[in-house]
Amino acid sequence: MTDLNLLARRRNFFYVFVVLVALVYIFRLIQLQVVYEDDYGKRSDENSLRAVVRNPLRGYIYDRNRRLIVDNRPSYTVTVTPAEFDPSRLKYLADILNVDSAVIAARIQKGLSSNRFTPVRVMRDVDFPTLAFLEEHRDRLPGVEYLVESKRFYPTNAHAAHLFGYTTEVSDAQIQAMPDEYKSGDLIGAAGLESNYERFLRGKKGYSFITVNARGESQGQYNNGLSDIAVTEGDDLYLNLDAGLQAVAESLMADKRGAVVAVDPSTGGVLAIVSKPDYDLTLLGGVTPADLWAKLNNDPAKPLFNRATMTRYPPGSTIKMMLATAALEDNVVSPSWGVNCTGVFQFGNRLFKDLHVHGPTGFMESIQRSCNVFYYQLMLKVGLERWNRYGKEFGFGSPTGIDILEENSGLLPSSQYFDRVYGKGRWTQGYLVSLAIGQGELGVSPLQMACYAAAIANRGYWHTPKVVGKIRVKESGTWIDNQVETRRIEAGDNVWRIIRESMDRCVNSPGGTAPQAAVPGIRVAGKTGTAQNSKIKDHAWFIGFAPVDDPQIAIAVLVENSGVALYRKVPDREDHAAGGVRPAGGRGPGHLRGGGLRWNRRSIISARGSTVSTGPRGSTRSSPAAWRSWS
Amino acid sequence: MALLVLIGIASVYSATYDAGASQYFNRQVIWAGAGFLLMIAIWLLPFRTLQMISYPAYAVSIVMLIAVLVAGKTVAGTKSWFGFGGFGLQPSEFVKITTLMALASYLSYRQLDRDRLGEIAATFGIVLLPFGLIVLQPDMGTAVIFLGALFLILTWAGAPVFLLLAVVAPAAAAVATLFNTTAFVIVITATLALLFIMRTNRLLSSMVFSLTVLVGVSVQYLFNQLAPYQQKRILTFLNPDADPLGAGYNVIQSKIAIGSGGIFGKGFLHGTQTQLNFLPAQWTDFIYCVPSEEFGFAGALLVLALLTALLLRGVQLASMVKSRFSSLLAIGIVSVLTIHVIINIGMVMGIMPVIGVPLPFLSYGGSSLLTSMIMAGILLNLHRNRKEY
Repeated sequence: MTDLNLLARRRNFFYVFVVLVALVYIFRLIQLQVVYEDDYGKRSDENSLRAVVRNPLRGYIYDRNRRLIVDNRPSYTVTVTPAEFDPSRLKYLADILNVDSAVIAARIQKGLSSNRFTPVRVMRDVDFPTLAFLEEHRDRLPGVEYLVESKRFYPTNAHAAHLFGYTTEVSDAQIQAMPDEYKSGDLIGAAGLESNYERFLRGKKGYSFITVNARGESQGQYNNGLSDIAVTEGDDLYLNLDAGLQAVAESLMADKRGAVVAVDPSTGGVLAIVSKPDYDLTLLGGVTPADLWAKLNNDPAKPLFNRATMTRYPPGSTIKMMLATAALEDNVVSPSWGVNCTGVFQFGNRLFKDLHVHGPTGFMESIQRSCNVFYYQLMLKVGLERWNRYGKEFGFGSPTGIDILEENSGLLPSSQYFDRVYGKGRWTQGYLVSLAIGQGELGVSPLQMACYAAAIANRGYWHTPKVVGKIRVKESGTWIDNQVETRRIEAGDNVWRIIRESMDRCVNSPGGTAPQAAVPGIRVAGKTGTAQNSKIKDHAWFIGFAPVDDPQIAIAVLVENSGVALYRKVPDREDHAAGGVRPAGGRGPGHLRGGGLRWNRRSIISARGSTVSTGPRGSTRSSPAAWRSWS
Repeated sequence: MALLVLIGIASVYSATYDAGASQYFNRQVIWAGAGFLLMIAIWLLPFRTLQMISYPAYAVSIVMLIAVLVAGKTVAGTKSWFGFGGFGLQPSEFVKITTLMALASYLSYRQLDRDRLGEIAATFGIVLLPFGLIVLQPDMGTAVIFLGALFLILTWAGAPVFLLLAVVAPAAAAVATLFNTTAFVIVITATLALLFIMRTNRLLSSMVFSLTVLVGVSVQYLFNQLAPYQQKRILTFLNPDADPLGAGYNVIQSKIAIGSGGIFGKGFLHGTQTQLNFLPAQWTDFIYCVPSEEFGFAGALLVLALLTALLLRGVQLASMVKSRFSSLLAIGIVSVLTIHVIINIGMVMGIMPVIGVPLPFLSYGGSSLLTSMIMAGILLNLHRNRKEY
C-alpha cells in the first residue's frame, strides 16, 4: 500500500464523512420544514398569536313605547393573574374587597388549573372608592388588575324582577356544552327574559388578534387588524310591555303578596306582569353572595317565586263564565234557564252554602251577583267531561306558552285525574260541586286568568301571551316579529253576548259584586273571585277587561290572604284600568308624543306627559341608546 | 466563505432587529471587518512563520487559559471570558487554533507508531492539557470539540480509521438508542456505510457492526433497568420535549422556528420566532434558526451547502499540500469546523444534545468569528504555499 494510496483513502473517508453528515442534516431539514411544516407553523402561530376577546354588550330591552327599560352600565371587575399573584397577599386583597378570602382563593385556584397567565375575575361590580384604593396599593398587589365590563341597569320604575330575570356566571357544564359561545367568567341569562332570550341578548364575541413576544407582551396588531373578528352586540328586545303600566301596577302591589297580569286582548301581548314580593335585580347579575341567596331562598314570603306564572290557586267564582259558556254553547240548558237561590244547596247529605239568598236567578244575574247555587246545579247538568273540555279551550291545565321559562301548568281536573287520585268509582258527583264555583282541586295562575279574561273580551280568540313583541337583530339590522298565535274558542255570538254583558253588569249595575271596579269614562267589565284557603285568609281574585265595546286591556289580579272582601284590591285594578286605557271619546294630553302615536293605549304616567322614571335610583335621563331607535 | 459571513451578519441583524439588542449587530460588523483584515494578513504570511510560531503561540494560549480561570469573568456559569472595556474575549476559542498548530507541528516530523508510547502520550497531552483547562471552566461544548478533533486528526495522521470507527460507532449507537429509534437506525446505517467504504477485513467489519448493534440494544435494556428518576434525567438531556419549560425550551422553540419556516420561509425580518424572542439569545448558538425560519428550506439548505463546500474544499487542500505540517493543520481546522457544524446544527434541529457551541462564521461573538476568520486565513495561506515542503 503506497503512501499516496493511503492519502487518497483518508481523503475519501473525510469526504464521505462530511457528505454523510450533510445528507443526514438535509434529511432532517426536509423532515422539519417540508413534512411537518404545518405542524410547526401552527405551533409557531400559537406561540406568537393571542386572541383578545371582545365581549359584546347584552342587548337592550325596550317597552312598547320604545322606552329603554333594561340598560347597560360600566362596571369594574377586579381580576387576578394567578401566575403573578403573591399568595401571601390573599388576606390583604380579601379585606380590601370585603369578601371571604376563601372565595378569592377558590377563584384563583380555578384559574391556576386552566391557564395561569390568564386573569381570572375575582369580583364584579367593585365600587369606585375600592377601585381607587386598589390602584393606590397596586405595588403591594402584583397581578391584581381590573376590567371595565358592563352590568345591567334598570332606568325606570318598571322593575319587573321576575320578568326581566338576571344573569349568572356561566357554569363549567354550560361552557362544555357551548365552548364557542362561552368562556369562563362570562355571564349567561338565568331567569326570565334574560334566560329565555339568551341566544339573542348575548351577542357574538369579537376577537382581536395580536402578536406577543416570548414574555407575552403585546407587539401590536396581527395583520393590521384585517384578521380580526368584529364583535356583534346583543340583539335588542322590544316588549309588548307598557313600562308605565308596569310601574303603576308594581307600586299598587308594593305592600301586598300577589300578582297582576295585563294582556292586550287583540294580540296576547303582555302589557304588565307583576309578582310581589320581589327582589332587587341589581343585587344579582353576576356572582350572588351565598348569604344573599340563602336570604332570598329562605324568606317565607318567597320573593324569588313568580306568582304571576307559577302559582296554582283555585280561581273561585271567576271560573263561572267558563261553565256558563260550556252550558250555553252546547245547549245543555236554554239561555233562559234559571234557579231559585235559597242560599244553600244540598247534595246528598252535604250542604253547600251561598253568601246570599239570591232568589230567582238566570245567567245574567248568576254572574252579576255571583250566585253559587246556580252553578252547583248547572255543573251537575254540564258534567265533568264537558267542563274539562271547555276548561282546556280556555287554556287551563296546560302552560300558556308565554316567552319566559318559569311557568306552572296548573291543574284542570278530569275523570282520569279523579280516578288516579281517588281510585275508579271512589269519587262522586259531589266533587264536581266544588269545581263549579272554582274551588277544590282546580288550580290556575294569574297569567292563565288574564288569558281567559282576554278570550272573553275578544269573543273567543285565545292568544298565546307574548312578552316580546319584536327583536332587533344587530348583525343584519333586521327585525324578527314575535308572531301572534291564536286559537279559536267556538261559541256563538249570543253566548259571548250573555257572558260579556253579565260581566259588565257585575261592575256597572246595582247588585253587582264589583262596583268598585268602575272607572269614570271607561266602561269596565269584570268578575270577582275568592280562592278558599284552609290555612289563613282567603285569596282574592279579580279578572276584567275594558273598554267593554272595544277591549284594549284584559287583566287578572290576585292578592293573597286578603280575605273574602274585594275592597282592598279594587283600587289597584281601578288605577290600572284608568292608566292603561284611553278614556272613551277623549285623548290624553300625551297622545301626540313620539312613538306613542302608534298606540292609543296610554299609561297614567305617560298620559300625564311625564317620564316614567320617578324612583330614587334613577335620573329621568335615559341613556342615549334609549333613543337610538327614534332617529 | 465571504457569503457565509454575510449570511451570518444578516442573520445576526435579523435576530437582533427590534429585540433591543442592536448593539450586537454593530459589533458583529466590526468583528467581521477586523476578522477580514486579520484573514488577509495571515494569508500573506511567509510559509514557515505558521510552523515557527506554533509552539510559542500554544504556550501563550495555555497561559491565557490558566489566567482566565484565575481572573476571568463568569458568564452564564462559565469562567471563560476576559473583559476588555466593552468587549469580551474567550481564550478557549483561540486555543483551538494554537493547539491545532502545535499538534500539526509535533506530528509533522513523527510517524505515530504503536512502539513509541511516549510520542502517543505527548500527542494526547498537547490536546488534553487545554481540554482539561476548558473542562475546568467548565465549557463542555468546546471540550467536546477538542476530543472530536483529536480523533479526526489522528485518523489523518495515520491511526487506523477502522480502529477509531470501532470506538466511535458503538458510543454513537448507545446515545442514539436512548434518543429514538430513528436516530439509532441512522447510526447503524452510517456505520454500515462507512464499513463498506473502508472495505477492510469482512470478519472484523461484521464484528464492529455487531458490536455497534449490540451496544445499542443493551444500552436500551440497561436503561429500562434504571429507576424512573434516573431515566428521566437522561431523557431530559437527550430529549428536551420531555421537559418543555426547562432545559428543553430552547430546542423546542428552535425546532418550531425551523419547521415553521417551510420551504421558502417567512421573509427577512418576518420570522415570528426570531423577531418575538421565542429563542433566547437567538443571535448566538441558535443562529441557524434565523435563516431557516426567514428563508425556509431554501435558506437553510444554502447555509448547509456553503458550509459543506467549505469543509470539502478543506479536505481537498489537506490532501494536496506537499508539507505534512500544512496537511495536518488543514485537516485539523476542517475537523474543528466540522464538529462545530455537526453539534450546532444538530442541536438546533433537535438531533443532538444541547451543548453550547457556536456555528462558525454565523454565530454572534467576536472571539468565535475571529477564530473562524483566522482559520480561514490559515487555510488560504496553506493554499497559497501548497507547493512548499
